Amino acid sequence: MQEPVSAERKSDGSHSRLFGRDTWRWLGQQIFNRQNPAMYFDPLLETINPFWAQRYIPARVEAIESETHDSKTLTLRPARRWGGFRAGQHLNLEVEKDGRWHSRPFSLSCAPSHWEQDGTVTVTIKKVADGEITPWLLEHFRAGDVIGISRAYGEDHTPEPGDPMLFIAGGSGITPVLSQLEAMADRHLRNPVTLLYFVRTEADVIGGHKLQTLADSLPNLDLRIVAAEKDPQNPDHLGPQHLQGVNGLTERQCFLCGPPGLMEHAQNLLADAGVPDERISSTLFSVGPGVVVTEDAGGRVHFSRSNITVESAGDRRLLEEAEAAGLNPRYGCRMGICHQCACRKASGIVINQHTGQASGHGGETVQLCISVPVGPVELEL
Amino acid sequence: MQKLSDEQLENLAQDLDAIRNEHMADLGQRDADHIRGIIRLHRTLEFGGRALMPLGFIPPFLLAGMTSLGIAKILENMEIGHNVMHGQYDWMNDPELNSQTYEWDTICTADSWKRTHNYEHHTFTNVIGKDRDYGYAVLRLEDETPWQPKHLLQMINFINLSVFFQWGVGMHELEFEKLRSGEVTLSEKAAFLRDFARKGGRQVFKDYVFFPALTLPVAPVVIAGNVGANLIRNLWASSVIFCGHFTEEAESFTEQECENESRGHWYLRQMTGSSNFTGPGWVYTLSGHLSHQVEHHVFPDIPAYRYREISPQIQAVCEKYGLHYNSASLPRQYATVVKRVAAFSLPDRMRERLLPEFNEDGGQRRSQDNSASLVSRLRNRVTSTLSAAA
Repeated sequence: MQEPVSAERKSDGSHSRLFGRDTWRWLGQQIFNRQNPAMYFDPLLETINPFWAQRYIPARVEAIESETHDSKTLTLRPARRWGGFRAGQHLNLEVEKDGRWHSRPFSLSCAPSHWEQDGTVTVTIKKVADGEITPWLLEHFRAGDVIGISRAYGEDHTPEPGDPMLFIAGGSGITPVLSQLEAMADRHLRNPVTLLYFVRTEADVIGGHKLQTLADSLPNLDLRIVAAEKDPQNPDHLGPQHLQGVNGLTERQCFLCGPPGLMEHAQNLLADAGVPDERISSTLFSVGPGVVVTEDAGGRVHFSRSNITVESAGDRRLLEEAEAAGLNPRYGCRMGICHQCACRKASGIVINQHTGQASGHGGETVQLCISVPVGPVELEL
Repeated sequence: MQKLSDEQLENLAQDLDAIRNEHMADLGQRDADHIRGIIRLHRTLEFGGRALMPLGFIPPFLLAGMTSLGIAKILENMEIGHNVMHGQYDWMNDPELNSQTYEWDTICTADSWKRTHNYEHHTFTNVIGKDRDYGYAVLRLEDETPWQPKHLLQMINFINLSVFFQWGVGMHELEFEKLRSGEVTLSEKAAFLRDFARKGGRQVFKDYVFFPALTLPVAPVVIAGNVGANLIRNLWASSVIFCGHFTEEAESFTEQECENESRGHWYLRQMTGSSNFTGPGWVYTLSGHLSHQVEHHVFPDIPAYRYREISPQIQAVCEKYGLHYNSASLPRQYATVVKRVAAFSLPDRMRERLLPEFNEDGGQRRSQDNSASLVSRLRNRVTSTLSAAA
């Protein structure tokens, strides 16, 4: 599974809306006890037509194509109110599996022109072997189904004419690069571009067909696909030798996207080669842990609203950690009964001390008074 | 209170935890489908009720609109609001069904409810002096509380509380009795009063200003219909809730009994302090499955419609530990509630003689004294009081 961590959410701009919007909200509070009164009607509207749902943006799955043995590209047709995207941005797929809502980020793998011209977009999903959601996503959906999506978010990487560029991508980290390269082709840009694309073997190349088409339409594209583990005796991982072949390296705008190890390594190599920091931008893709960590509890706990970080030794519940950090979270029974202390967890795994069960690693509500962190955890507190 | 040894309590906790884990591990699509089905039914009934109301000048339409909206409010308060705020559906990760953000269609704010109900009532269930839900500070239901002459009229409080239930619940956290005794001050309650006024204002605006104004020519009919719908909800909700803890055989506890209690002891208190009622399936749904108050108190955060399935498991546990599983039909349980309210409105000695079933020994002595008729017992009491005075 791919998770762009650097993504910053696009503000919904609601504060700048017109008087009508405020009135609507006020009335919603008075009549329906909720900020967004439209959602009150969802349970009926979505049974009539799933595209009328308001709590997420519905998108119809137009087509599903296999990319490799473990990845597929979904062509989606979002509702018109979706609002479009910029090259290199991401969206979340909002899906319900066994009654639970999950939100998973993926990069858009096409140029914005697709949305503008025929109202479709593509996302490419790579299966995390022991993941909870991606294997299911790839099996569950069929052409014609409706899936929930979020608005697009993340840095705008619309290519500009002029600067020479270097992309270093690993595995499914190619997807935002595909979007940017297609956008370049749309604009007929002639910047010198080098793409270093690292994959395990040649069978793991995502978007191979698209890359060939791009190589034809971008005359200055230097496409180098490196099958790092083609020869297991003699692996060819990213190293200085790959950068040596890039002309005018220090003058290039560099864009990195891939697994954390590759990204960190690439950052260091570029810094060593004298590329200034401001010319390097990156989207960190990390693989979500599919296996529950069962080692000793404890980890870095970040309370995002109060911007406090503490190191938990794993010998206290999160409620006690928060209180020790000087916070005053709401609580009640302190024994897992009343849910007064339920708090939104943005990321990380916690163990429920009642059940001994580990939570998922994504956003969800947890009971602070009976939860112990396992590894880094971010709480909206 | 029924006594169990520490070891038994520990085993009890283990047995109940095992049942709990079994159901928590099984949560899934079925539960999501259930609550969504209820929400769809609620929306349909609410929209239907509001649409019928303006035609209320034709009596059958008024009746239909009132019933439809009344049932909608019942479903929203009991099967949706109460249960969602207990965190029963937090696992769904659905922002519309989140215990921290859900706000319900009644005067009481969700935050106030979670403090007084989820925390106070569910943690200190039936502990006299700590669980203010036990009698709502206006009813005397046990003899720990000393009798006072005002208790003679508590049946009136009982009726008022039933009719204006949503206001009673909304005002609950004001702790009027503590304000009067000076235990808390009005300034400490300022934040509560502000929230209460805002939410109460909203509810009044919606039912008695906004919707009547939308249908101005027939506004009085709409107001009358909405009064009726709120009354239906108040009477039903209060009846269900009174049957949960005020029945004849539901036990109450003292603070000393519950000091430093174990989880097993807490479980024991939930099982012996709560009472169920039986009825057809729709009664269970309309009660928000508080028909299964015992199961609810043992597992407040398991989706409530599962209590029907959990019930046989709890009954087996009761049997194993020799505990009384308090369950009877709704009319029967309600009758014992009324009887309890009446019994404890009387001075203790009079009650002990007239209604010995509420005595500590469950009225064992009565059988020895079965010759005494009501009249002769009253006569005896009057004579003895007179002679004592002389």
